Amino acid sequence: MTDDVLVVDSLVRRFGDLTAVDEVSFRIAPGETYGLLGPNGAGKTTTISMVAGLIAADAGTVTVAGQPMTPRTTEPKRHLGLVPQELAIYPDLTGRENLALFGKLQGLRGVELKGRVDEVLTLIGLADRAKDRSKEYSGGMKRRLNIGIGLLNRPTLLILDEPTVGVDPQSRHAILESVEALSGEGMAVLYTTHYMEEAERLCDRIGIIDSGRLQAEGTRDELIRLVGGVDTIRLGGSGGDLTAAAEELRLIPGVERVEAERRSAILTVKDAPALVAQVVGTASARGVTLADVEIARPDLESVFLHLTGKGLRD
Amino acid sequence: MVAGTELRLFLRDRSNLFFVFVFPLLLVLMIGLQFGEGARSGRVAVSGAGSDLQSGLVERLEDDDVVVSDLAWDDALALLARGRLDAAVRVDAAAATAYDAGEAVTLEVVRGSAGNAQVVEQQVRSAVDSLRADRGRLLALEDAGVPPDRAASAVEAAEGQVVAPELEVTSVDRLSQEFEGMGQFEFGASGQLLLFTFLACLGGSATLIQARRLGVVSRMLAGPMTSGELVAGQILGRWAIALFQGGYLMVATSLIFGVDWGNLPLALLVLLLFSLVAAGAAILLGTLLENEGAAAGAGIGFGLVLAALGGSMFPLELFPDTMRAISRITPHAWAYEALADIQRRDGGLLDVLPQLGVLAAMALALAALGGWSLRRSLARAM
Repeated sequence: MTDDVLVVDSLVRRFGDLTAVDEVSFRIAPGETYGLLGPNGAGKTTTISMVAGLIAADAGTVTVAGQPMTPRTTEPKRHLGLVPQELAIYPDLTGRENLALFGKLQGLRGVELKGRVDEVLTLIGLADRAKDRSKEYSGGMKRRLNIGIGLLNRPTLLILDEPTVGVDPQSRHAILESVEALSGEGMAVLYTTHYMEEAERLCDRIGIIDSGRLQAEGTRDELIRLVGGVDTIRLGGSGGDLTAAAEELRLIPGVERVEAERRSAILTVKDAPALVAQVVGTASARGVTLADVEIARPDLESVFLHLTGKGLRD
Repeated sequence: MVAGTELRLFLRDRSNLFFVFVFPLLLVLMIGLQFGEGARSGRVAVSGAGSDLQSGLVERLEDDDVVVSDLAWDDALALLARGRLDAAVRVDAAAATAYDAGEAVTLEVVRGSAGNAQVVEQQVRSAVDSLRADRGRLLALEDAGVPPDRAASAVEAAEGQVVAPELEVTSVDRLSQEFEGMGQFEFGASGQLLLFTFLACLGGSATLIQARRLGVVSRMLAGPMTSGELVAGQILGRWAIALFQGGYLMVATSLIFGVDWGNLPLALLVLLLFSLVAAGAAILLGTLLENEGAAAGAGIGFGLVLAALGGSMFPLELFPDTMRAISRITPHAWAYEALADIQRRDGGLLDVLPQLGVLAAMALALAALGGWSLRRSLARAM
């Protein structure tokens, strides 16, 4: 595991009596996208601030590209690209000037700097607007510039802190595609979000964080297995009595539980798509006229609910 | 890098253009016209129908740098009442005739109420005395049998041969000594230099708050840069703004108003240290406040109060003793005194060393305090 780009070990950060990050540990391998999924205030940004060496940890360690990261160290920061949640750009500078400034701060100079700025402008689709001041950009363009600055130094670890907050669907899609492409090129990505769909789409592994603690960690499927991996079939009737059909529904192999009322029933099953036809047929045979059939499969939202007892957007 | 960016942002802000490039020069001009020595040139109307007496009087007044106009008597009185003239002299026909005849002449003079009017009245008296003396010399020659045309040329030739004694006046008045050697625009130029250099720099405190609010500062710290380097960059940024504003005013006032800054390297050293004080103050203000609007308002307020206390709006030399002692809490007062020494009294490095020392101490203290406060605010912002 020494090849891991990022190793976070037992990280703790307190603000007064509040423990914002509590014994958080995870690793990210090259080319891997790791998602930190949790609601606002869960401790994601504080964790990232320690990973990026912006604030000191009260306990625990962060290692980036094999080098310990603290606010006083500069060398591991050369391997890091940070895309903060805020639009950390100068609105009165042009896109090119913003990139050139942060490129210089990363140590790029001369021809190398100019070349890299041109590459990034093309990558984020702002080459034709490079001479416009960034305050004249749309929200999505500003987001792209914000991301572009994080890519200037060709980081081995890219940290994206909720990069799609407040972004229109089109720009959001473009950002997610960019992240997928970067990960495909071998860049390790640490991605924080409270959008379940983004975590499911992008992340090879996901850490679920709440109240400063990493509640669970794994691939999507591993996490879903934590809640038992069962599906739900909801039936809504407009004629007949579903309570009368409940006994026969329980006898169908794969059905684990049935909660029925006269006009509705909820079935907990092993594999809903495989069983739904048999369930509908059984109910119909008992004289029930079905108006509504709904299949619900577990997702990260239900995993989060299962682990913390609250929703991601609570 | 950070310093260059700060200067670029400062110059790119269009609202700054008037207050950086135009407004200070307008103030220098206005103050120069009010306090400068040009304002002491008398303005006199000499009314009359044209005579030797009138032309002789005008000639002598103009020799004394008095601005003379030929107006109708009523017009002259009207301008006098509006304060546009210091004195009006009427040379009527009777006086002109009496003068030509060598008889006693009485001229009517009306003096204005401006502070300068008494001096101008004395200039009119001197001109009349000079006329009378010339007239007396001519009459003496004519009485001795010299023909009038030869008498006039003899007097003119004699005047060319006589070298008037030069007067070296030393005033025992402290104020006169303080202002000795000051040109018309010098007070305005040095005062506005200090006022606007400090103001421009304090205005930079708002951009620091903006950079913190936008997360730009955090982003910089996520790169291979220590917090010490970031603090130094922020201070350098404000220093660059202050030096630009001060340097511009030195060049512009020198070219437009002919202001003499004395020993230029020494004057620049004063500007360097004063600007560093301003940079430290700007960082401190930008870290103590969290709101850009509040910082901009406080910057202007502090800037104006310190400038007023420090002699940038009203000469320190005219302050009561208590106020002058209080003024020493401001960097403006120390810089003002140093510039006054350099500009008016050809002061050298040793003469202004105490002022430079105090400014350097203030600069170091404020830069250290500003840096410490910036580090604290960065820690809070994370």
